Amino acid sequence: MGILVFISVLLVAACGLIYELVAGTLASYLVGDSVFQFSTIIGTYLFAMGIGSALSRYIHGGLANRFVWIELLLGVIGGFSSALLMLAFAFTQGFELILYALVMVMGVLVGLEIPLLMRMVRDRYEFRDVIAHVLTFDYLGALGASLLFPILLVPRLGLVRSAMLFGLINAGVALWSTFLFVDQLSATRGLRLACLVVLCALGTGMAEAQQITATAEDNIYADEIIFARDTHYQHLVLTRFKDDLRLFLNSHLQFSSRDEYRYHEALVHPGLAAVPAPRRVLILGGGDGLAVREILKYPLVESITVVDLDPEMTRIFSSNPMLTKLNDRSLLSPRVHVINADAFPWVDGNADSFDFIVIDFPDPTNYSLGKLYTTAFYRAVSRHLSAQGFLVVQSTSPMFARDSFWCIAETLKQAGLETHPYHVYVPSFGEWGFVLAGRHEYKPPTSLPASLRFVSVDGLPALFQFPPDMAPLPMPANQLNSQVLVRTYENDWKDISH
Amino acid sequence: MKLARRRFLGLGSAALAGLFLKGDKRIEGSFVHDSFPRGHLLRGRAGFPPAKRVEKIPVVIVGGGIAGLSAAWRLRKRGFSDFVLLEMSSQPGGNARWGQNEITAYPWAAHYVPVPGPQAAYVRELFEDLGVLKNGQWEERYLAFSPQERLFLYGRWQEGLEPVIGLTPKDRDQFERLENLFREFRQSGSFTVPVELGLSSKFQDLDGISFSDWLRQQGCDSRLLNWYMNYACRDDYGALARDTSAWAGVHYFSSRPPEEKGPLTWPEGNGWITRRLLERVGGNIRTSQMVHRITETRRGASVFAEETEFQAQFVIFAAPTFLAPYLLEDFPPLHDFVYSPWLTANLTLDRYPESRGAEPSWDTVFLDSPTLGYVDAMHQSLRTHVDRTVWTFYWALAEGAPAENRQLLLEKNWAYWKEAILHDLERVHTDIRQCVSRIDILRMGHAMIRPAVGSIFSEERRRLRRRNGRILFANSDLSGISIFEEAQYHGVEAAQKVLGRLHG
Repeated sequence: MGILVFISVLLVAACGLIYELVAGTLASYLVGDSVFQFSTIIGTYLFAMGIGSALSRYIHGGLANRFVWIELLLGVIGGFSSALLMLAFAFTQGFELILYALVMVMGVLVGLEIPLLMRMVRDRYEFRDVIAHVLTFDYLGALGASLLFPILLVPRLGLVRSAMLFGLINAGVALWSTFLFVDQLSATRGLRLACLVVLCALGTGMAEAQQITATAEDNIYADEIIFARDTHYQHLVLTRFKDDLRLFLNSHLQFSSRDEYRYHEALVHPGLAAVPAPRRVLILGGGDGLAVREILKYPLVESITVVDLDPEMTRIFSSNPMLTKLNDRSLLSPRVHVINADAFPWVDGNADSFDFIVIDFPDPTNYSLGKLYTTAFYRAVSRHLSAQGFLVVQSTSPMFARDSFWCIAETLKQAGLETHPYHVYVPSFGEWGFVLAGRHEYKPPTSLPASLRFVSVDGLPALFQFPPDMAPLPMPANQLNSQVLVRTYENDWKDISH
Repeated sequence: MKLARRRFLGLGSAALAGLFLKGDKRIEGSFVHDSFPRGHLLRGRAGFPPAKRVEKIPVVIVGGGIAGLSAAWRLRKRGFSDFVLLEMSSQPGGNARWGQNEITAYPWAAHYVPVPGPQAAYVRELFEDLGVLKNGQWEERYLAFSPQERLFLYGRWQEGLEPVIGLTPKDRDQFERLENLFREFRQSGSFTVPVELGLSSKFQDLDGISFSDWLRQQGCDSRLLNWYMNYACRDDYGALARDTSAWAGVHYFSSRPPEEKGPLTWPEGNGWITRRLLERVGGNIRTSQMVHRITETRRGASVFAEETEFQAQFVIFAAPTFLAPYLLEDFPPLHDFVYSPWLTANLTLDRYPESRGAEPSWDTVFLDSPTLGYVDAMHQSLRTHVDRTVWTFYWALAEGAPAENRQLLLEKNWAYWKEAILHDLERVHTDIRQCVSRIDILRMGHAMIRPAVGSIFSEERRRLRRRNGRILFANSDLSGISIFEEAQYHGVEAAQKVLGRLHG
């Protein structure tokens, strides 16, 4: 029977470590900053274990009964911890509070386990053997768990089910203990019944884990996060699901690799192909190099200037193999010049002229970004436009933010430009809009670069047709001193989400 | 090297102390541009050296604030450049002075001009000259960016300065009633900018009582309404409503159409206008020239500055009028010129404080604070990402007698005012001490004319405006209201008169 007791120790230790790893990993995934998350969670957990050990001295009689209950409790709490944390992050404001409370509770329970076990078996062995064996198996269990977790559990089972699996093990140890320590137990039948209930609950949880994860992740990022960084300017998150890469800036989807070609072909070609002999192109924003990739399809273009605020953004899209594959190493082309600068002051301080200008900023979600959608900004930009040139503005969705879209069009108009709004369907975004603007009439191009997947000469005229539900609305222009667009945009999206 | 045990302990405790003190950021700063050491020399009327040089020049302008600079601008614009402008301090601009650090330019006093109405013809002309008004359109970059103003009250932020949170039906009713009254005054056409164009004896009675008494007569006893009216008086006149003429109180609200455009402003406030004017008239300006005596003769006037006597045909006295009795011989003492003492501070912030529930605005005010809040110099920046900034903090010492407050300004040291400012900000921005790295403070004993009861229709003031000798007065205090448009109006008017008489 000796070896069976020590196997319990090993399993219990593994469970304890798994819960800790689950909490640390989840927090790193969801909040970012893994060093901070793991440090604080391990610290809190160890500290709570200390509290548990200290509390163990107040437990006098009925050690075995208490031990079984602790195992069951740990099975439930630890087993459901991962699901609970995901739901907490998705649906509540208090993720951190719940996280650390959970870590504390689990730590205290884990801290109680070993001291109780030691006391339960002390009559059977020499004291020095108890210490040596219990600790040996404790550490072995930890080693096993720490190897299993990254190699097998996370990739195969995912975080939710891994936690539940070890919850089941905890409950299994509880059930097993009712046989192992039967001589020290009272009310054994009731205990076994409780064990079965917990086992059933966790088993059901395992079966339904997919549903729980889906519910939570629908509210967070749908996919695995492969890169997350807080740059000086923004929160940058890259996710991957199979072959779909997605970039989020401050939680706003920027592109999905499955359909970004639709967006970027539509952003660039209707305008650029209509400029006779374009030589110099300017991109404001667009540090992902995807619009650049499209522009490089024009052999006449000699130089492409990319002005993006965030050096981290352009660096990642010049160096990460997954991303350079996506943008065809466009940012590394000798024709491309990357400038990391704030767009408005740069536009003001520069005197160059361009044949085509792409304005591809994040949506006007705040007053700072709103400055880049004003008559003042468009006037400043249009001074850089050559006589035959066009500029194009990503203008949010004419479907979901119809007021905002037509506000941007009106703003360009009042900045003294002739506007040609159009729209395309991008599955991951929905219906999306652009405004092409220049000082002269626009004629859709009659030829396009070869190998485009979406934009075609025949399909072009249809992009400029707006069905009644996206038709023009009379809107005021957006100005620095009014910032009507930011307020409009907020209202537009509020209407959609509620 | 062996470290002595004691030394080691010393280092250790220093390191520990360093850890504990980390929260308290060191804040540098000093008083700047103090003018009273020189100004107070005039009170003694003594110790000035006799003139060693004589310069003959047709026109001398005394004072390089907006009034003096505007007179110079008009002279140059009319092709007349045979004049000098004498400025006491090393930097011209007066209440439109500015400063500059590695982050931004920032104002030292006045920081905006309301979009001028049709009557402010000289201001419109100036703004056309400066490219602010082009083909009837105001340059968008010079209009205050949105969001413009925010007020902190009852633990939360609201947009705009007129309280809208926590109003009772009674408050609402009084605000509305007052608004209707102000609209009627506005429609009367008597409350204009510049003041002189509309001034009508029809409303002279208003000048006979205080604004707070007038409000009481209208049955306005709402606490929030009275706070707002007092805020307006402190902001424009440096005085409480009870120390302000009701005519001036009404003028604040009735002289301009309620406009949505937002005022004209620049990172360095009205310092931007000063800079543009200096580009145009800088060649005629002599700074650090303390005028200590002006004598009027039959065919002109002599201005004594430092060791030079300027013999002029005309003198435009654009310095604050209260200096006239100290500079001019046989000038009667003035009774209707009361000035409000002010303090402004420029705070360098290494980061913005956390402020939940409100976007950083151009102008921030706290309900029930004795100060006027602060203006963010980086708000007019075209950048989308701003880390550091400068806040200009305004404090009209309105409570109590001006003379006593002037004494207070003189007596208390920089650390006292620094703490007072931080205490005020800390009530709302609890982490302000971790954000601020520098506080520079400007003390102004006679910052602006106060439109006290009886001062708008004062006979003394009217006489000075109509004065027809060799010395013409031009300071904004002639209107009884210290605003940019008044200073500019009197400066331009004086220049016109001088031109007319020189050629006439």
